[in-house]
Amino acid sequence: MISQNLLQSTTQKCTTGCPILDRLLRGGIPCDSITEIVAESGSGKTQICLQLSLHAQLPVSHGGLSASALYLHTEFPFPFRRLHQLSLSFRSSNARHLPCNDNPCDRVYVQSVHSADELLEIMSKTESFIESSKTQLPVRLIVIDSIAALFRSEFDNTPVELKRRSSLFFKISSMLKALARRFNLAVLLTNQVVDMVGPNEGINGLRIGNLGCLYTSGRRVCPALGLAWANCVNSRLFLSRHEEVNREENGKLIGESGGFVCKQTRRKLYVVFAPHLPESSCEFVITREGLFGVEITAC
Amino acid sequence: MEIWRLPISASQRGKLISAGYTTLSSLSSISSSDLARESKVSESEALDILKFASHSHSGGWEMSSGNCSIFEGAQNAWDMLHEEESLVHITTSSADLDNILGGGIHCKEVTEIGGVPGIGKTQLGIQIAVNVQIPHGFGGLGGKAIYIDTEGSFMVERALQIAEACIEDMSEYNRFIRKDFQACEIRMQPKDILGNIFYFRICSYTEQIALINYLDKFISEHKDVKVVVVDSVTFHFRQDFDDMALRTRVLSGMALKLMKLAKKFSLAVVLLNQVTTKHTEGSFQLALALGDSWSHTCTNRIVLYWNGNERYAYIDKSPSLRSASAAYSVTRRGIRNSSSSCKRIKMM
Repeated sequence: MISQNLLQSTTQKCTTGCPILDRLLRGGIPCDSITEIVAESGSGKTQICLQLSLHAQLPVSHGGLSASALYLHTEFPFPFRRLHQLSLSFRSSNARHLPCNDNPCDRVYVQSVHSADELLEIMSKTESFIESSKTQLPVRLIVIDSIAALFRSEFDNTPVELKRRSSLFFKISSMLKALARRFNLAVLLTNQVVDMVGPNEGINGLRIGNLGCLYTSGRRVCPALGLAWANCVNSRLFLSRHEEVNREENGKLIGESGGFVCKQTRRKLYVVFAPHLPESSCEFVITREGLFGVEITAC
Repeated sequence: MEIWRLPISASQRGKLISAGYTTLSSLSSISSSDLARESKVSESEALDILKFASHSHSGGWEMSSGNCSIFEGAQNAWDMLHEEESLVHITTSSADLDNILGGGIHCKEVTEIGGVPGIGKTQLGIQIAVNVQIPHGFGGLGGKAIYIDTEGSFMVERALQIAEACIEDMSEYNRFIRKDFQACEIRMQPKDILGNIFYFRICSYTEQIALINYLDKFISEHKDVKVVVVDSVTFHFRQDFDDMALRTRVLSGMALKLMKLAKKFSLAVVLLNQVTTKHTEGSFQLALALGDSWSHTCTNRIVLYWNGNERYAYIDKSPSLRSASAAYSVTRRGIRNSSSSCKRIKMM
C-alpha cells in the first residue's frame, strides 16, 4: 500500500457557470466527493443540476471537466425542453470552447430510476459504462435528481425497516464514493425537505451544520432521509425560497384600491456543511439563461 | 531477565513479587536493608538477592520499558508513571480544548471523537495531523502523521490553509516570546507540512482492515509517525453485513491492533466516529455509531455537539480526565478557541 502524495493532488472542481456561485463554492462542485443540494420543490435544484451537466463539458482550463454527464432522474418527466433551452445560451456564451457541430445535450446521458434497488443495479453497470465512455468525452459527473424520491415510500416507519433503509444509504454512498474516487468524478445529488413539526427538542431539533434552522417559504424544514443520510454526503447546500411582497411604487398600501401587489421570489443558497467551505450564503436568480448568483451591494 | 530466573528459593521469589519487585531494574537502585524491610526477608538474604541480580545482568541496566519482567511486556506502575509524565501531548490549537484534554491528545492512547455531520470532526483531524509536526522547540512532537480517509472528506486545499496558519502562529510566537527571531527562524513551509502527512484513501471495509494490518510494518519503517487519524472509522461498517457477529469480531480486532500500535510506537491514535439514533424504550437517543461493544474499546471518548450557535466538546469517557466540556470554533485558520465572551469550561 502506498500513501498518496498530497503535494501532487489538487481537487478538481466543476464550474457552476456563474462566477459568483463559483466564488462561494471555491471553484465549483468538487470531484471525488458527494455534494448534496437540499431544497423544497421549485427552488432550483434541477436547474443547477442541468446547468452543471452542461458546464462539465467545458475544458478544464475554463473550469469544466472536459466531460459528459450521467443524469439519473427519479422524478418524471425529465425536463428535456429546459435542458435544450439552457444549452442554447450555454453554447452561445461558450462557443469558442466547444466543438462546432456538437449539441451539448448529446453529452448528457439521461437514465430514469424508479427504486433504490434499481439504483444499485445501475451503479454496478455504471462502472463499465464509464470505462467505455472514455473514448469520447468521458463521464465525469453523475447527477441523481432526486435521491429522496427513491426512499420516501418504500419503507415503513418501524425501527427494523429504518435500519434496513440506513444500511442501504451507506451502501449507495459507498458505491458512489468508490466510483468518484476511481474515475475522479463529481457526484451531485438532490434531496427534498420535510416540514418540521413538534417542539424543537431532542431528535427533532437536532442541528446539523451551520444553520440552526432551515427556513423556506416561511416554514421550518429539515432535509429528508434523516441523520443517517447526512453522514453519507461530503457537502450539503441548501436552497431557500421566500415570497416577498413589496409595496407598490406609487406609495399606496397593499390592498388599498389602486395599489398593486408586487411579489418577488427571493432565493438564497447556503453552505450547510462542507469540509473546505466556511459558513456562507448568497442570493441567486433563475432566468431563461440559467441560475446565477447576485451580489447584494450596499448603496 | 525475569525475577523468576534468579537462582533464589521459591519462597524468596514469592516474597519479592508480593512486595512488588518483578523486574531487575526495580532492584537496581535499592539498598539491601530497604529490600529486606519491604520483602520481609533477612538482610543477608537481601544482600544475596541483590548480588545475584547484578550478576545476572550483563552489561548495563536495560531501560525500564517492560523488557525484563515476569511477563513479557509487563511493567510496574512506577515505571509507567514516569513514562506518562514525560509524554508530550498533541495540541488541538484551542487552549480551552487542550485544557479539558489535559494538554492535548495523548500519545499511547486511542481517542475517539464523534459528532454530527458538520460539527468539525474532519477539521479537528486535519488540525491534529498538522499540529503533530510542530517542532520540539515549540512544544510539539516534531512527528509525522498518517491520515486514513474513508469518506473522501479530506480536502488538500483546506489542509494547506490550516498548515499555513500553523506556520504563521509559530512565527508570531517567535516574534513575541523568543525575540531572537533570526536564531529560531521557521524553516518549515506549508508544502513540507503536507509532505509529512501520509495520506491513505480507503474505499471498502476490507481495504480498511488490510491497511490497519499493514500499519505496523509501515510505522516500523517511518518511526517518526506520531499520530494515526482515521476519518471516519465507521463509514464502511454501517452497511449491511450478512453476518453481524463477523462485524463485531472485525471491529474489535481492529480496535485491538490500533491500541497495540499506539502502545508499541508511543503514538496517538485518533478515531473519528459518526452519530446515530439509538432506539431505546420507544424513544430515540443519540449515540456514537458502531454499537455498545465498540464503545468499550477506546481509551478516551470525546463528543462534539452544538449548544445553541456554539460548538462544544465534551469528555465522555476517560481514565484520567474528568468530565468537562469546552467551546471551540472552526475558523479559516483551523480549530481555535471560541470567540464568544461567555465561553467557559464547564466541569461536570
